[in-house]
Amino acid sequence: MTTISDFKGTVKPDWCPGCGNFAQLTAISGALAELGIEPKDTTVVSGIGCSSNLPEYIRAYGFHGIHGRLLPVATAIKWVNPKLTVIGYGGDGDGFNEGTQHFFHAARRNTDITYIVSDNQIFGLTTGQASPTSEMGMKTKTTPDGNLETPLDPMTFALTAGATFVARAFSGDVKQLQTLIKKGIQHKGFSFVDVFSPCVTFNKTNTYDFFRKRVYKLDETNHDPKDFYKAYEKAREWGDKIPTGVLYEVEASRYEERDEVLKTPLIDHPVAKITPEILNEFV
Amino acid sequence: MNKSEIIVRIAGAAGDGVQSAGLIMAKVFSRNGLHTSTYNYYQSIIRGGQSWYQIRASSEKVKNQGDGLDVLVTLNKDGLERHTNPEINEGGASSLNGIAIYDKSLTGFKEFKDRVKYCPVPLSEIGQKYSKNPLLKNTVALGAVCGYISADFEVLADIIRDQFGGKGEIAEQNVKAAKEGYEYFVNTYGKADKKLQYSKKRKYLLAGGDAAGLGAVRGGLKAFFGYPMTPASSFLHFLAQHSKSLDVFVKVTEDEISAINMAIGANYAGVRAMTGTSGGGFALMTEAVGMSGMMEVPLVVYEAQRAGPSTGLPTKTEQGDLLQVLGASQGDFPKVILAPRNVEEAYYMMSEALNIAEIYQLPVLYLTDLYLAEHYETVDNLDTSFQINTGKIAKDGMENYRRYEFTSDGISFRALPGQPGLMHNEDSDEHDEKGDVVSDAVTDPYLRKLAMEKRMKKIDEYIKSIPPTPTYMIKDAESVVIQWGSTQGAVEEAVDILRGKGMKVGIIEITHLYPMNSDILQLVKGKKHVIFVENNYTGQLRRLIMSEFGITGDLIVKYDGESFYPGKLSEEIEAIIRR
Repeated sequence: MTTISDFKGTVKPDWCPGCGNFAQLTAISGALAELGIEPKDTTVVSGIGCSSNLPEYIRAYGFHGIHGRLLPVATAIKWVNPKLTVIGYGGDGDGFNEGTQHFFHAARRNTDITYIVSDNQIFGLTTGQASPTSEMGMKTKTTPDGNLETPLDPMTFALTAGATFVARAFSGDVKQLQTLIKKGIQHKGFSFVDVFSPCVTFNKTNTYDFFRKRVYKLDETNHDPKDFYKAYEKAREWGDKIPTGVLYEVEASRYEERDEVLKTPLIDHPVAKITPEILNEFV
Repeated sequence: MNKSEIIVRIAGAAGDGVQSAGLIMAKVFSRNGLHTSTYNYYQSIIRGGQSWYQIRASSEKVKNQGDGLDVLVTLNKDGLERHTNPEINEGGASSLNGIAIYDKSLTGFKEFKDRVKYCPVPLSEIGQKYSKNPLLKNTVALGAVCGYISADFEVLADIIRDQFGGKGEIAEQNVKAAKEGYEYFVNTYGKADKKLQYSKKRKYLLAGGDAAGLGAVRGGLKAFFGYPMTPASSFLHFLAQHSKSLDVFVKVTEDEISAINMAIGANYAGVRAMTGTSGGGFALMTEAVGMSGMMEVPLVVYEAQRAGPSTGLPTKTEQGDLLQVLGASQGDFPKVILAPRNVEEAYYMMSEALNIAEIYQLPVLYLTDLYLAEHYETVDNLDTSFQINTGKIAKDGMENYRRYEFTSDGISFRALPGQPGLMHNEDSDEHDEKGDVVSDAVTDPYLRKLAMEKRMKKIDEYIKSIPPTPTYMIKDAESVVIQWGSTQGAVEEAVDILRGKGMKVGIIEITHLYPMNSDILQLVKGKKHVIFVENNYTGQLRRLIMSEFGITGDLIVKYDGESFYPGKLSEEIEAIIRR
C-alpha cells in the first residue's frame, strides 16, 4: 500500500502560484498511490519547460532530459524494465514542436507508457512565446501582431497516430484529472492525457474561467470511447463546448509483445555467448 | 603476379552482383589460408553505374587493397576499358597488368596488349546451360579465376553451397557452372605459372562493421537503436540479422535523435545500449551526447565517417568528422573518442568502449570510417572472452545515497530505477550531489563549480588507463608519420617501401584520439620530420595534436573519396623527407 505522501519530494516546486502544474503533480501522485504503485517502481521522464521540472518534485526515479525528447527515453526505459510504471510528462511546447515526431511514433508503437502533457498553449519557461497549441491570433512576445498559425490539435493527432488511449483533462478539476491519469496508467499500451493547464502568468486567454465555462464531461454523455470516428468528432469539438474525459480507448498489441527479443524484459537477458557456430559464419 | 600475392578485381554495373561475387572470391582465399583484404568501390545507386570489388591475398599479412592488379574479371565493356587503360586511375587504383577475364561477346574495345592478356570466356553461354538467371555468368567467371590460380575447386564449391543455402537446385546449378568455367579456362589458357601458398588453415573473414557488431555483443550489448545511413548500416545490418542468435534488441527509430535518446534511456534503466550512424546522423545526435555527459549516463556511439560535407559522397570514405565528434554538444564535459585502425581492432575496441562508458559514466564515441566499416579482412583469431566491468552500481537501500556524490575520482554510484530506497532525479540541468537542480530558483555558483569539477575529474582518472600509443618501426626512425584509423594499412606499407629503400621512417598510430596519451611528446622527440597522413582536407588530427601538445608537422591529405594507396603515399612521404 502506498499513500500520496509517499510520492512527496523534498524540493519545493518553483511554479507560479496558481499554475496548472500543481494540480497535475497532485493527480499523478494520487493516481499512483491509488494504484498501490511504489515510488521505487515509478520513473517519471520529462523534457524541458516549466512542467518538465516535475521529476524533481516527486519522490520516484526522475529523468529530466532535453527539450522534446522525453518519449524515446521513456519508451526505452519501459522496454528494458517493464516492471516499472513509466510516465512521460512535459508541456505543449516540448511535446508538440520538437517532440512531434516522437509523439507520433511512440503512439504507433503502443508501448505501455503514459504520456501526460501540461498544455498551457504558451511557452512559459522562456517567458511567453507562441506555442504549437496557441490559438490563432493570440498576441505573444513572438507574435506581436497575433499568431498566424492554426493550433495543432493533440487529440486528432494522437488518434491519427494510432494511440490506444486518448483523454483530455483540465487542471481545474483535480478529481477527474486523477481518474483519467489512473485510467491511463492502467491502460495496457500508449496512453495520452492532454491537460488544459492555465498559465496564469503568460496566457491571458485560456484561463481557468475560459475552460470552466466550456468544459463538459464525456462520461456524462452517451459517448462510446470504442468508436474511433465518434472520438474523432469529439476531438474536433471546440468553441463554446469542449469535451473532457476519455475520447478513445481500445486494446491492441504492444510493441514489447510483438518483438521476439523484448518478450523477455531486456534487463533479465544474460550476456550473450559468442559461440563457435556464430564465429563459423565468418569463415 | 609478383611476390607471393595476388590482386583480383571484379568490375560491373550496380545490380550485376559484383559485391557478392567479390565476397565469394575473397572467401576462396581466406578458406585457403591466405591473408586477404578487400575493397568495395561503389556508388549510391541500385542499378547501373560502374562498381568494382578488389581482393588482395597473400601468404604474408596484407594490410590494404594494395597497388597493382593481376586479374580482372569484368562483367561489361565499360569495365574492360576502364581497368585496362593506364591513363584512367580511379582515386589511385592501378590498371591491369595481367589477365582479363570477360564474356566472349564483348568486342570493339581499346586493347592494351603490352600489359594485358585477353582471356575471353563464354560466361553467359555456359551460365545459361544451367539457369536462366543472368547472374550465373559471375559464377562461371569465379570458376575461371580459380582455374587460373589453381585453387582447389571444392573450396569454391563449398562457398557457393554456403551462399545458396546447402545442396539445393540453385546451389548445384552454380557449382556446375563454376566447374565448367574452371575447366574451360584451364583447357583454353592454362594455369598461372606462379603458385600461391595455400594452406588448410581457414581464416576468419569479416568487415569492420561485422567486427564492431560482434565486439559489441562480446562487450555485453543488449540494445541497439539506429537509423539507416551509409556506411554505418553494415553495423546495423549485422546486429539486426543476429538479433535473435546474439540476443540483442535492435530498433530502427523515427530519426537519429530518437535513436540516441532511446540508447540513453536504456542505459539509464540498466542495460548496455548504443546507437550508430554516420556524420550527418551524428550531427542530429549531438545535443543528446551532451545529455549523456551531463547526466552521467553511459553511452557508446558508433560513428562511421563518409565523405562530407552534407550528403557528400555517401559511398566514399573520409576522416572528416574528427572535429565534429570532438566538439559534439555545447559546454565542457568529459567524453572519450576511440578510433580502431583495422578489422581486428574494430572488434576488441568496441568491447572496451562499452566498459569505458560504464566505468566512467560518460559518452564514448567510436569513430570509424567507410573504408574500415565495409572492407573485409582476414583475422586469425577472435578471443570471445571478456571481463564486463559495470563500474559503480549502488546496492539496494545504500545509506545516504547521493547519485552525484563528489568523490575523489569523480565517479559516483549509479542507481537503477526499481532499486529500493535510492529514488533520485537525474537532470540535464546543472544539479547538486543529490541530483537536485541548481540552475533555476537559486543559481549556486559554488555548487556549479564543484559539479563541473566532479564530472571533469573522471577524465583525469580515465587518462591513467590509456594504453601506450602504438608505433611501427619507430626505434631507429629519423622521421615519423602520424596516422589514425583505417589508413594504418596503407601507411605501414608505404613505410615498408621506404624502409626497403633504406629510409629510416616510423609511424605513430593514434587509436585513443581524445583524451590522447601524452607519450607522443616523447615519440616525436628528435625526429627530423613529423608527417601527418589523413583522409581529409584540413588535417583534423594535426589540428587536435597541435592544440593538445603543440606538435605540428607536414601534412599529406587525400580527400577524393578514396583511401590511400601505399605506392603513391610512399612517394609523397619521400618527397617531404628529401625536400
